Amino acid sequence: MWFPHQEHMHYSVCSNRIKSALMLRRNVCRSDGPFLCCAASWGRTEYAANAMPYALYIASILGGLALLMMMPRGGFTPLKLGMLLGAATLGGLWLFLARSLPSATGLEDGAFLYYYPFSFIAIGAAARVITHTKPVYAALWFIMVVIASAGLFLTLSAEFMAFAMLIIYGGAILVTYMFVIMLASQSGDTTVVRTSGEPDDESDEGQDKPMAYDAVAREPVAACAVGFVLLAALLGVMFDPMRPNADAAAPSDETVATQVLTRRAVTRLPDAVADRIDDGTIGNVERVGLDLFQRHPLGIELAGVILLVSLVGAVVIARTKAAPPPEFEASDGTAPHPEGARH
Amino acid sequence: MIGEMDSMVLSHYLFTGAVLFALGVVGFVARRNLIIMFLCTEMMFQGVAVSLVAFSRFHLNYTGQTFVIFVLTIAAAEAALALGLVVLLFRRKRTLDAAAWAELRG
Repeated sequence: MWFPHQEHMHYSVCSNRIKSALMLRRNVCRSDGPFLCCAASWGRTEYAANAMPYALYIASILGGLALLMMMPRGGFTPLKLGMLLGAATLGGLWLFLARSLPSATGLEDGAFLYYYPFSFIAIGAAARVITHTKPVYAALWFIMVVIASAGLFLTLSAEFMAFAMLIIYGGAILVTYMFVIMLASQSGDTTVVRTSGEPDDESDEGQDKPMAYDAVAREPVAACAVGFVLLAALLGVMFDPMRPNADAAAPSDETVATQVLTRRAVTRLPDAVADRIDDGTIGNVERVGLDLFQRHPLGIELAGVILLVSLVGAVVIARTKAAPPPEFEASDGTAPHPEGARH
Repeated sequence: MIGEMDSMVLSHYLFTGAVLFALGVVGFVARRNLIIMFLCTEMMFQGVAVSLVAFSRFHLNYTGQTFVIFVLTIAAAEAALALGLVVLLFRRKRTLDAAAWAELRG
């Protein structure tokens, strides 16, 4: 029995629930041996496992074709057909995979059922992000991707990450993108009309028409082929049965007490926090915070440096010329953009 | 309450993450609008974040979620720099077309 002493538990960020799950897992794997563990999960899915690689590859090909149909190409685009094919591929693949799902998923009650709608929305919205011809709508669809993946995080009981994702991505980053899109498309439409691509003849309704470089994808066939070969390769590895790796779990209290904590200054938790860890009433936010500040202090410092550098860099890159040189304005009023004049 | 998660369930979440990543790659290669290209890199970050949180839940180890915080940090920094760059490039050529900078191919 490696259950640690009570005093060691105060050092740890590892809760009783996780610890007992870890013990259970180790006992199972000890009694059966790793090969039997593996064989058990294979036996459940024997038929499905044999056909699974082919199903995944076929689904990758069909998904690639669906995306290819949805890609903007200027002329006729079978968008609806592509969406239909993509949805059918996704649904068929999930139906096929559902046969090898166990009855007990290990998630909270019914949480896995929500995986399907959230994942479907995320994938569909992602497809629209890269196929929509108007940047503003692409950004809005990306917000949909963010919302759906926040829902996926909730089913994984990662509440803090779900809401942080919504606030930071959906709130801050996407608003910044919107600003730039509005800025660029607005002045692009008024000052210079379509410097590249074919000139369009009906410029009366130019406000609603997408720009030429948005309406035609660049090398859609090659792009889809590359992307979905990558996807097929990834999926072939992912759907091998995986076993939880006890070494990858949070370190045991013994390890933390004897190896980690002896090498650094004493980072003893306050008794109140330690008590809540022990009786398992500590929440997700606090767990993430403990992990962040106890085990990754250097990472926080580096993140701060990166943010500072990018802040300074963004200011330097996007800085306008503070004042154009006086002789430039005096001699020639027709070139208000000195940078543009160089090209 | 928090129990072990099945390997097949993990694979489902990894599937979603991989599809988001692959779509991001396709979009980055295929689209010609600079802003959309950077939006696609954000989508790749999303796929990675989904995978990280799923692994975190599978191994019952909160470091996965902590790493998502770092991914968010990098994404924010990247968005700031990339959009600054896009604004700069747009000001030079008055277009968001990536092909306008084809001369950089050398």
